[in-house]
This record gives sequence, C-alpha cells and structure tokens, in this order.
Amino acid sequence: MNETDRRVLIVEDDPDIVDYLSFFLEDEGYAVEAASRCSTAREMMDDFRPEVILIDALLPGKSGLELLVSLRRDPQWSDLPMVVVTGNDTLLEDDCQSYLGAFEGVRGPDGVLGKPVDRESLLAVLKTLLDDTKPN
Amino acid sequence: MEKVQLTVPEQKGEFESQYHRYWEEMPCYLSVHDQDFRIIDGNRRFREAFGERIGQYCYKVYKGREEICPNCPVEATFADGQNHPSEQLLTTKDGLEVPVMVHTTPITDDSGEVVAVMEMHTDIGEVKRLQALLQRSQERLVQLFEEVPCFITVQGPDRVIQHANRRFRETFGDPVGENCFKMYKHRDEQCLVCPMQQTWDTGETREHEEVLFTKEGEKLDALCTTAPLRNADGEVEAVIEMCIDITQIRELQSQLASIGLLVGSISHGIKGLLTGLDGGIYMVNSGFAKEKPERIEKGWEMVQRNVERIRSMVLDILYYAKDRELIVEDVDLEALVAEFREGLEKKASDADTEVRVNLAEDTGIFAGDPQAIRAMLLNLLENSLDACRMDKEKGDHWIRLGVRREAPWLLIEVEDNGLGMDQETREKIFSLFFSSKGIKGTGLGLFISNKIVDKHGGTIEVDSEPGRGTRFNVKLPLDAKPSIQPEDEVS
Repeated sequence: MNETDRRVLIVEDDPDIVDYLSFFLEDEGYAVEAASRCSTAREMMDDFRPEVILIDALLPGKSGLELLVSLRRDPQWSDLPMVVVTGNDTLLEDDCQSYLGAFEGVRGPDGVLGKPVDRESLLAVLKTLLDDTKPN
Repeated sequence: MEKVQLTVPEQKGEFESQYHRYWEEMPCYLSVHDQDFRIIDGNRRFREAFGERIGQYCYKVYKGREEICPNCPVEATFADGQNHPSEQLLTTKDGLEVPVMVHTTPITDDSGEVVAVMEMHTDIGEVKRLQALLQRSQERLVQLFEEVPCFITVQGPDRVIQHANRRFRETFGDPVGENCFKMYKHRDEQCLVCPMQQTWDTGETREHEEVLFTKEGEKLDALCTTAPLRNADGEVEAVIEMCIDITQIRELQSQLASIGLLVGSISHGIKGLLTGLDGGIYMVNSGFAKEKPERIEKGWEMVQRNVERIRSMVLDILYYAKDRELIVEDVDLEALVAEFREGLEKKASDADTEVRVNLAEDTGIFAGDPQAIRAMLLNLLENSLDACRMDKEKGDHWIRLGVRREAPWLLIEVEDNGLGMDQETREKIFSLFFSSKGIKGTGLGLFISNKIVDKHGGTIEVDSEPGRGTRFNVKLPLDAKPSIQPEDEVS
C-alpha cells in the first residue's frame, strides 16, 4: 500500500464479497480494509482513517444503516463519504428514506449500489466521491 | 181506502217483479234450502252453473256428494239463525271447480220461525289465484332468503337477531333472541367497531371484513355488508347483514403472498450468489493475468462454493414447492452419512474447518425417509459451516455431527463453534424466509429442516450464543410414521 493510495473501508459480512471487492479495489489502486461487523468497523476507523466507506445494508446484529447514522452523528466522521451496498436495490431507496427519516438532520448515503456489484459503477461512484476531497 | 188497497197490491206486484229481477241478476249463486237441505229456489246464475236442480239435495247439487257436508253452514243457520260464512269448493254441471265464499241467512215465517235458509256463493276464483300467486312469491322470497349461499341476519331495534337464514343457523346455531356479537364472535359485548350500529345510526350501507367463529369454533374470514330496512315512512326499522365466507380466497391470497415472498427471497439469494460467482470469476481471470496461482485457487473455490450453494438452493425450492409426504423405509444412518461425508469434508477444508463425526456404534437401522433426512442433515451441517466461515474472531473452527440411540428416539446433534446467534435470531430461524445470512440466504433451509423433523414426529431445538457457536438437537422417533405429531408420541 502506498501512502498516496485512497483508503476504502468495506463493512460486509460475506467473506466472498469481501475477498472479491478487496482484490478488485486493490488492483485498481485503492488501499482496502474490511470489517465483518459494525463494531469492528468502528474500532478500525481511527487507525485506518478511511476516505470512503462501503456499507452492506444487511449486516448481522446491527444493520448497515444504523452504522451510517452513528457515523453521521460523530463529528469526526460526519462528512465521510458513505456508500450503501444492498441486494434489495428496488426497496432500498424507500427503505433508506423511511429509516433515515426517523433521524432528523441525518444525511443519507452518498451513493447506493445494488448487488451484484457492477465493477464499473463502483469505480465511478468512488471516483466521484473522492475527487471532491483531497488525499490526506 | 179502497183505492189505496188497490194500489198497494199493484205496487207490491211491481216491487216483487223488480226484486225478482234483482234476485235473478245477482252476480253470485243464490239458492234457498229447506230443512231437508233440498234446494227450493235458485237464481239465474245458479241455474246456469248447476242446471235445473230444484228439489235436489244441496250437497248433491253443489258437490256431487251423497250425504250432508261436514260443518254444513245451512244446518248451522237453521240451528241458530246466524250467518255462517265459510269457503267452499263447488263443482258446476260442466265439472268446473269454483272456489266460493259462502254466506247464509235465515228466512223466517210470520211467527219468526226459520223455515228456510238462503245461501249466497261469491266466486272468489280470482282472489284465490292472487292469493296463490302471493303465497308462491312469498315462498320464493323465503326460499331465496334461506338458501342464498351466505350468512344473513336481520336485527331489530333492540339489536337482537330477529331472523337468520338456514346457512347461518347451520353454521352459527339458532340465533333468535341473541346478539350478533354473541353468535358471530362468541363475545359478551358489542364489538368496538360495529357496522350494524353505524347503519342504525346513519341509515347507510356499510361494508367491512370480519373474522367470525362458527359454533364449532372454526375461524372464518368474511366480507360483511349491512343495509337498513325502512318502513313506509322511511324510518329504519331493522338492519340486514349479509356475510360472505371468503376464507378460501384469503387462503389463496396468503399462498400467493407466500409465493411472492419466495420469489423475492430467491431473487435476493441469487443476487448474492451471482456476486460470489462474479467475484470468483474476477479472481480467476485477474489471477491468470497477474500470474498469481493463489488468487486463481481462491477464485476457483469461490466459483465452486457458489455453484454448490445455487444447487442446494434449487433443491430447497423444489422441496418447498412439492411439500412431499414422507416415504418411510429402513435408514442406515452410517451409510447415509458416508454418502455425503467426503463432499462435506472438502467444503469444510476450504473454509479451514474440521469435521468431527461421532456415530455411536449402536446407531443401527431406523425407520424414516432417507432422502428427507439427508436434506435435513446437509442443511444443518452447511449452516454450521457457513457460521464458521463467517466467524472472524476464532482461529480454529470445527463442526460436529453426533448421533446416538436412546429408545424410542434417535438423537442427532449438529454443532459448530462459529458465529453463534443472538436470541432474536434464535427465535426466528425456523420461520419461512427468515435468513441471518444477509444476501446469501433464502430463509428456506431451516424452515424445511424443521418441517422434515416435524413430519417424522420428532423435534428440533437450538442452543446458541453469539461468539460461542450453535448446537441443533434433533430427536427423531426410531419408527417414524408419516404425520405423527411429537405430542401424540409423548402422551
């Protein structure tokens, strides 16, 4: 991993998808770390300092949307670009809105990707989100 | 005076001839009877209908009888001098039957003694025809009310059922004098939302869906409509309620909903597996391009694993779709386990998980459906394997299959030291379409496993804690008979 690589944190419980996305994003020049649970993700963030986070919407125990809300409420991470990945893409827009609607003032995800993840779309979303921010 | 005396008879003669004309032309049959019931006079209509029968017995003339009629009104009038109205059926000389209304009146002599009785027969054929028509249409209405294939009740102002049709009585019992909430819902007080009451209050029709309970306690879904019955002044006098049994429609709807859920769940699961396949293919391709054999191997395992998952998902769907009955035969569990053990160990080693099998020596042969039991065991074991694969906390993972005999049960344990489940997950795992595996589960596997065990007359329990792992305890009767419930077996 180079110092200049943009850092992506994947929060995903399926090891196959973690392996797949990690290899792919590393091939594309990103620095990738993965967490299978929301709690592990929170623990890793201080050290890894991700520049974008990919969250699986259906994580065991705590849903990915809960993680999104808690990060948005944390001043340290509230501006971090967040992308929600889900298999239930048709329902997602509505679900996100109704779920997030319950939390006043919480900004929704910066991007939404349906499974199976289209590699071109993933790169496009990451590029758009990261071009807005300077490497740090 | 003489003049007067002369004119009176003349006038009397005119009167008599005039009244005789009236007698002759009266629009009814008139006859005069002596004490022997012989007809001593009759008007024109009488003669036309019954012939020149003066001097004959009235019962013979009017009814062709050989003796006096029972309840003869003439006889009664001779006895008490009163009118005795009655309905009779006469037969004319041409054999036509004529329904008549009969009135009798006594004819007295100067001393006031009844010497004859006059009978007047009014043709009521038209009235009878209308009456019969009315009765037929009434019967028809009653028949419609009784036989209409739904439940109908009519409530009076005291909110008590006045009428109910046959279908209602057969299904809910005799309701007269009872309240609808008692009959339909076995309640002691009016329902919170009462459409009947709303119709009483507003005079408007109401439609609503209800759950009703028959006299045997069976649950029915019903679509009910209430409507006001108004009197001539437009006031609501009663309310009629008609309930249509829609239980079958609701069942069909729920089956359709469950098919919808299945389709959603399958497409959701397939998307997850496609991601896995995509990933595997990407890793194989990029592994070749970058000449990284480890990556190729990992990618190929991923492809194989996801193809295998698709295979077992399809088998689950087929099992769910068919809902097959058990085919019970002798099962050698050791042989059955041997059939899939190698495949399982291969999958487990890919997930760095050890497979431990403890088959007691006396496991022997038992009665069950081998195909169903194999599916159930594989479902449980693959769940255990998934729980290990997804657990990143522990280094060493194992899954264990333990079987022993404890008459009359065969006890099977499937255990792992994987992720484990919290209480909420534990409570839901046997529900249809519940999956804790995110995108890769259909929520069919454990539902089907539970069904298989249940059909054998056994039980399945789960013991699990997050982080520690999971153990499924399956109890199967050694001699399963299809459709035996565990409770039956115990008692």
